[in-house]
Amino acid sequence: MKRLAAVLICCGVGYAADGNSFVIEHATIHPVSGADIVNGSVLVKDGKIAAVGTKVAAKGVRVVEGKGLHVYPGMINSATELGLSEISAIRETNDTNELGEFDPQLKAEVAVNPASEHIPVTRANGITAAMTLPSTEGGQGIVTGQAALIHLDGWTWAEMTVMSGAAMEMLFPSLEAPRRSFLAPPGAAGPPFREVKKAYDEKMRRLREFFEEARRYRAAKEGNEAGLKRDLRLEAMIPVLEGKMPVMVVAPREREMKAALDFAKEQKVRMVLAGCRELGKLGPEIKAAGVPVILGPTLATPLEQDMPYDHAYALPEEFHKAGIEIAFGTFDVQFARNLPYEASMAAAFGLPKDEALKSVTLNAAKIWGVADRMGSIEVGKAADLMVTDGDPLETRTAVLQVYIDGRPVDLNNRHKRLYEEYMKRP
Amino acid sequence: MKHLLTWFGIAALAMVAARAEAPTLMAIRNARVVPVSGPAMARATVVMRGGLIVDVGEAAAIPPGAWVIEGEGLTVYPGLVDALDSVGITEASALEAAPAARRPGMGAPAGPTPAAGPPPAKGPEDRPMTSSWLRAADLVKPEEPRVATLRSAGFTTAVSYPMRGIFAGQGAVIDLAGERGGDMVVATPAGQYITMRSGGFVSYPGSLMGVIAYIRQVYLDAGHYKTVEGMYEANRRGMKRPDYDRALEGVMESPRILLPADRKVEMDRMIRFGKELGQATVLYGMQEGYRSADLLKGAGMPVLVNLKWPAKARDGDPNAYETLRTLEVRAHAPETPSVLEKAGVKFAFYTGGLTSGREIKAAVRRAMEAGLTEEAAVRALTLEPAGIYGVADRLGSIEKGKIANLVVSKGDLFGEKSEIKYIIVDGKKFEPEPESEAPGSGGRGPMTAEVGR
Amino acid sequence: MKRLSAAAVMVLAGVGAARAEVTLIKNATILTVTKGTITKGSILIRDGKIAEVGQSVAAPAEATVIDAAGEYVMPGIIDCHSHIATEAVNEGSVSVSSMVGIPDTLNPEDIYIYDALAGGVTTVNVLHGSANAIGGKTVVIKTRWGKSAEELPFEGALPGIKFALGENPKRQGSPSVFRATNLRYPATRMGVEDTIREAFNEAKIYQAEWNDYRAALARGEHPEPPRRDLKLDPLVEVLEGKRLVHAHCYRADEILMLLKVADDYGFKIRTLQHVLEGYKVAKEIAAHGTGASTFSDWWAYKEEAYDAIPYNAAIMTKKGVVVSLNSDSEELMRHLNDEAAKVMKYGGLSETEALSMITINPAKQLMIEKRVGSIEVGKDADLAIFDGHPLSNYSKVVKTIIDGQVYFDRAKDVAGRAAKEQEKAQLIAKEKERARKESEGQRRARPGAGEQAPKPEVAQ
Repeated sequence: MKRLAAVLICCGVGYAADGNSFVIEHATIHPVSGADIVNGSVLVKDGKIAAVGTKVAAKGVRVVEGKGLHVYPGMINSATELGLSEISAIRETNDTNELGEFDPQLKAEVAVNPASEHIPVTRANGITAAMTLPSTEGGQGIVTGQAALIHLDGWTWAEMTVMSGAAMEMLFPSLEAPRRSFLAPPGAAGPPFREVKKAYDEKMRRLREFFEEARRYRAAKEGNEAGLKRDLRLEAMIPVLEGKMPVMVVAPREREMKAALDFAKEQKVRMVLAGCRELGKLGPEIKAAGVPVILGPTLATPLEQDMPYDHAYALPEEFHKAGIEIAFGTFDVQFARNLPYEASMAAAFGLPKDEALKSVTLNAAKIWGVADRMGSIEVGKAADLMVTDGDPLETRTAVLQVYIDGRPVDLNNRHKRLYEEYMKRP
Repeated sequence: MKHLLTWFGIAALAMVAARAEAPTLMAIRNARVVPVSGPAMARATVVMRGGLIVDVGEAAAIPPGAWVIEGEGLTVYPGLVDALDSVGITEASALEAAPAARRPGMGAPAGPTPAAGPPPAKGPEDRPMTSSWLRAADLVKPEEPRVATLRSAGFTTAVSYPMRGIFAGQGAVIDLAGERGGDMVVATPAGQYITMRSGGFVSYPGSLMGVIAYIRQVYLDAGHYKTVEGMYEANRRGMKRPDYDRALEGVMESPRILLPADRKVEMDRMIRFGKELGQATVLYGMQEGYRSADLLKGAGMPVLVNLKWPAKARDGDPNAYETLRTLEVRAHAPETPSVLEKAGVKFAFYTGGLTSGREIKAAVRRAMEAGLTEEAAVRALTLEPAGIYGVADRLGSIEKGKIANLVVSKGDLFGEKSEIKYIIVDGKKFEPEPESEAPGSGGRGPMTAEVGR
Repeated sequence: MKRLSAAAVMVLAGVGAARAEVTLIKNATILTVTKGTITKGSILIRDGKIAEVGQSVAAPAEATVIDAAGEYVMPGIIDCHSHIATEAVNEGSVSVSSMVGIPDTLNPEDIYIYDALAGGVTTVNVLHGSANAIGGKTVVIKTRWGKSAEELPFEGALPGIKFALGENPKRQGSPSVFRATNLRYPATRMGVEDTIREAFNEAKIYQAEWNDYRAALARGEHPEPPRRDLKLDPLVEVLEGKRLVHAHCYRADEILMLLKVADDYGFKIRTLQHVLEGYKVAKEIAAHGTGASTFSDWWAYKEEAYDAIPYNAAIMTKKGVVVSLNSDSEELMRHLNDEAAKVMKYGGLSETEALSMITINPAKQLMIEKRVGSIEVGKDADLAIFDGHPLSNYSKVVKTIIDGQVYFDRAKDVAGRAAKEQEKAQLIAKEKERARKESEGQRRARPGAGEQAPKPEVAQ
């Protein structure tokens, strides 16, 4: 099987100038949106899926033999720093976490480095698209900028961008005491709660004020108020206020999740919760609000000392059981390729396998409003596909071909190059 | 009447001069006496002369000319002993005596102390955070405010230590009254106060394992020092004289060491460490003593139990997640004395930061509610600490020949409505000073500027 | 958990696990690692050791039976690089901190021991951190949750010491969040080499002093004894082959440097830890007889990890190095089986080679392969039972056994959760009730003026 893989990779590269039309035959097709199709075909025309099924009429296109192989939609990583961060410890290579509390005008895609080594490394594992976030853990802002949904292929960031402004990222103010520096003297007490609370209340006040300011700006703009000066920050908020752009609110703890839910309701904005590390009693409320949740990292130790050892592993099923729509993100760059294993670990601890697969494909597409374009193998959608020798949520499975918009994607990367180079060392 | 007036006059003078009246001959009569060393006497007399107990018993005669306290309705106990404290030592005096004991490389708290500590230590040879030679006996001052506070709570005696650094220094058994520091000292040195504090990331030792390794090296060095000293003493001519090392001198003259142990794993670790060092070891802390009886019993080391029971932080996050162990320790720590009593582990109490008599009494009562007998509670504050520190021949019980340290209360000492009437220290009588209104606002006392463990 | 008496501990330590217990695991798929796979197989455990393995194993009537139908048994997982079970990791103040040691700060109540068990890990190499060129002493433990600190160490396993090369040990040589002033030598990789050489130079002199002293004693003289130096003792042990060196390293250059220093001073590097560029100098590592304990796929988190590739383990294996996969993480540690599967994906190693990375190979690296690392008669009954193939991401550990004793049982864990929550709720309620009563009591007991104290009088 491994040898076959090598052959297919070579062939895949060979097809590059083929007008993005081909048919994969005799494979098991996993559309995700419907039942698996054994011995099926997927016809791709001009980068779009033209037909799926056991009887696909495909004349005049190149045939990819898929016997014994599996075809899945490409996976979507719903939270990454892809393109924005190269080496996490070297500040100069990082473009996340801008200064300022309210930066809704920032757009993640404009800083995506299409030559980042992480992009080919990640897509080699079948991940074809990713949300890339302007801010990550450690960010000090509140409204941190617009996340972009990007394809993991393209000569420029403009070519890579599937959706600019896919979500307005917010790091919700937290009542958790700031983490102590390891340089602090042992046993030193943290700040008293009243101080933390005061800072939190103050932050919340500024946040509400900012939304209010944006709302007034919008009204003034709509009313063509004379002498209104254009304000890039406030203008960037308009799609949020109009419900056209969701806020992606990072809130790990129950208390902050609850506050975020209240905030979204109060501000009448569409919200996606992200980075939730517990559910607590919020299941019914999140479900009722129709708020989807980006989970991750699942591969995490329990949030607190004596929570059950599998707390993080079992959490996705806790959300799913509560009727909440979930997708996964890795919230990083180095491990973005391991997205499928976030989902399979969740499956080992209760999440149904088909739901695990959806949570890295179709659910993500739905949450980011691109289910008409990607996330499943359905006619009319972009041909973001991967061909594998098995279940892509299993580490042992080899990803043999990847297509983005029907283009066969080069699966070579820094790692493979170094591997091949040093295997040759006598 | 004239006499009485005179008495009041003296008393008033004494108050003004912050000194107690010091009649050389004094007696308490018709009181219930709890000698601790033997059964309680329902109606007895205690006679004191020159600061010592000269007679006690139901038939004890009051010598003519004695000042007499009518003890009707009162109970007399041996003066209480705080088995571990820094009472009497001011921060300034300790710092002046041993600036090197401070955490290196860290800023000092605001105040007249120098802004920067010593440079980072590069190894055990720099003797970091060490002032083992410091003697509490040289540092205590009767005017240090906590002396009176603790005395008002019924304490006549404390074992006071410098508390800064890893080898903080040598404690002294002190009486809580005197005109000069020297008057207070009953026995010195009482032991070496050792902590597991580290110097932060940049100064050696910067970690718990560094602290342990450092202590181990110091004792190895002390052994080597002794050997080389011995060789030198036997044959001075022709041999290079060994270097004098005050850190080792201080360690060597300490009759016992105090090692910190609140959690069970710390107890286990410190028991083994004390044995490895070959030192007479006393453990202090004991928050998890309630679950460590077998361990402590097996160790055969006396322990000092901190009366400041762990409590939920007042200024903490009300919704903070707390582990089962945290909750359990808070719920069960006050059972420690009762568990130790039943297991037959020798233990004494220390006030560990409690500031008022009311708090201390409440803490003892909490232990009694958790099963500690009153008798054991009294012992843990009198004869047990005296025994642990080797001064039971002088202190800790009401017996002929012992130091006249007494506490006289209305009602059982730890009864809900009890009230301390007099405290007698070295035969001098004090009345409790009124407590301040805000409990616990005073903080830990003089030596707490440094972060505790 | 009552603590055992010291005497009992000695007995236990002496014979591994001295309990006359017999356990039979039956109907399992047994992945022995060294002797193939046995389907519908049984393992008989007697006195904590594997007594029999095979498809037809006769068990005595009194044996405790674990029916593992549909389940997979593999050797207990060995993690060659971890920092669990200790209350200190780095003595970061000095460039040579060999005087300190993890054995002094073992914490048997560290919850991560339990978490490791829940991931099938039974043996752990607990290492000092990487803040200095020569770090502290290390210890191999078994994850015997519920036992005391003295009962954790792997009986008879050689002690170790941590070395570290590259960015971490030189970091304090430049102004940073760690130090603004009082910079610590070294600041470069050259200085790291020198620091190690200086230390071993000092150790050799020290060793000679002691040898001279002992020789003089043997001659009946009474010389002045040298001072015991806890920093140099472990280095002398390294020179004498009594202590294993586990060296944190990344780049090919520093790996070669260390192998050369070791050759020059006549000692061995037992394992290279992380060794992310090991694939570039696999030949040299193999020639030195050094093991490599690496990550599956970590990369790009720091400059020296930018050439890290997930094929590292495979290349080194193919070039003759004994390779293990470690965690260096409380999280990763819980699914090292999934990590092992990555060497199949990246580099095409076999299932057995993958499983070896977390069992027999780390056992060899720690020189405990006669005791653990595979399912063979006579070895310690340290086993992990999975509900599916351990190399599948959908599988999880259902039981972990050490010395024949079940230390982790998922069913029991799950069943016990409600009681734990209830206990917590009760404690919280009690505490609230106490606080309420206390504040009430304080309000009531505002002390009024006490009764007049009896006045002393003078006896006539």
